[in-house]
Amino acid sequence: MTAQTPSTLASVVTLASVTLKRVTRGKALWVGAAIALLPILYGNAVHLTRHTATPGEIFVLLRPLLALLPAMFISASIGEDIEDRTSAYLWSRPIARWAIIAGKLVALVPVITVLIVGSWLSAVAGGTGALPSLASSAALIAACIATSLVAAAIAVLVPKHGMALTIGYLLLDNFFGALPLSLAQLSLTHQAHELAQLGDPAVIKPAIALAAIAAAWTAIGLARIRRLEV
Amino acid sequence: MTTDIVVAERCSKWYGHVLGVSDVSWRLTGGIVGLLGPNGAGKSTLMKMMGGLLEPSRGALAVYDGSPFRDLAVRRRIGYAPEHEQTWDELTALELVTAMARLAGVPRGTAGRAAKDALAQMGMASAMHRRVRGFSKGMRQRTKLATALVHDPDLLLLDEPLTGVDPAARADIVDRIKQLGAAGKTVIVSSHVLYEIEALTTDILVIYRGQVLAEGNVYEIRQLIDRRPHRIRVECDQPRALASTLAREAHVARLGFERGSVLIETTDPDRCYDQLAEAVLDTGIAVTALSSLDNNLGAVFEYLTGEGGRR
Repeated sequence: MTAQTPSTLASVVTLASVTLKRVTRGKALWVGAAIALLPILYGNAVHLTRHTATPGEIFVLLRPLLALLPAMFISASIGEDIEDRTSAYLWSRPIARWAIIAGKLVALVPVITVLIVGSWLSAVAGGTGALPSLASSAALIAACIATSLVAAAIAVLVPKHGMALTIGYLLLDNFFGALPLSLAQLSLTHQAHELAQLGDPAVIKPAIALAAIAAAWTAIGLARIRRLEV
Repeated sequence: MTTDIVVAERCSKWYGHVLGVSDVSWRLTGGIVGLLGPNGAGKSTLMKMMGGLLEPSRGALAVYDGSPFRDLAVRRRIGYAPEHEQTWDELTALELVTAMARLAGVPRGTAGRAAKDALAQMGMASAMHRRVRGFSKGMRQRTKLATALVHDPDLLLLDEPLTGVDPAARADIVDRIKQLGAAGKTVIVSSHVLYEIEALTTDILVIYRGQVLAEGNVYEIRQLIDRRPHRIRVECDQPRALASTLAREAHVARLGFERGSVLIETTDPDRCYDQLAEAVLDTGIAVTALSSLDNNLGAVFEYLTGEGGRR
């Protein structure tokens, strides 16, 4: 027998490559791209009619994308594998289960990030005539990673309805994040907004909060995937 | 010295309140073994536990002296083909099998070659560059088997590998499994069809309602079955006349009548069939249908359960 237990890195790379092939050959990428066009269209439309739009206004439109795209790509991918039982092929291989989720994240987080940050850059540039700050783009990248981790955890917890529940949770997160309450501190999108320096200019506190919320969901997801059965 | 490849000791698995397998104790030292049982008997649960997908709720199950659920080195030695056909339809067969080879630890430089060989062995050489989405059920089965054997595992777990394949493909797959057994691989094949298992091996494990009902040579199991009366239904124009020709035979345990047919319980089916043929020729009775009610596994399992079960 020539096979050896594969390294975690090799497994993650293989899974990422497979995931990327699947997503580029499916419809989700085109639907995601169409959704990401909406803020760009808004920014340009405002610029044509009012001659100005603020980054804050465009960020409000971008926040739903942080719910929709991770759900469409990550929750759907993980949920389908578990529900369709294609995960049986992977779980019977000599690889850790967390590496399977990591492989999907490595492939899909860049796709989500490119769509959301690309939409942000184009919408702000079109709406204001200037590129947004580096901090705001960095904050959106952090938010993409954080919401993707939440989407993965929800899909592991409830594979059958992972996509719908992720959208629901992140839309609620948007809603509570916009409220002037202490509850907003638990909102990923609120923390991303703060990190983007579109509100309070503090950076450390929202960065830590964003990481902590994502880490809590990741821990829940990892604990569940170890015991999950198909 | 023989080494145990699979050892199950009082192994049970529940899905919530639903029992998958119950108190299974079993040792496997090698060869091709047929796991036989009706749908829902617990075959797939046992396969999944051996493949590392499920962990026993109670008891222990070891493969190559380790836990397939926890030990990656054990899973490296296993090739598992699940019962269901769903797979990653967006990929070509070659991409799918190559990825499975890589995930089983085949080095990058040889994974493509190994995948091509595995697909060729399963008769999929001409279709390996096509996407799985367009495959027939038989082609999916072959591709699935290629994913199981691409990394040259020591133990193959094939869950219902002959379901949905045409007769030619079935013969190919049976030959290939036999070759693997002859090459020293241990192969566990599950099925709910007795003749499928008989075509592959004489060693069987009969599982029913989550429990091991019988284990050993298929002929021993058949003898066990043959000790019980065998039921034959003959549909004809004169059921009572036909019954009277057989009534005094010692092998006939019971005669019954249904609408337009006679139901015979016999302890010697071969002799009964011969005498039926003679009776029809002698009397001119017109027989429209003849069926054995015991050629289905359900009846076989009922017999074994009636015997008091485990051997």
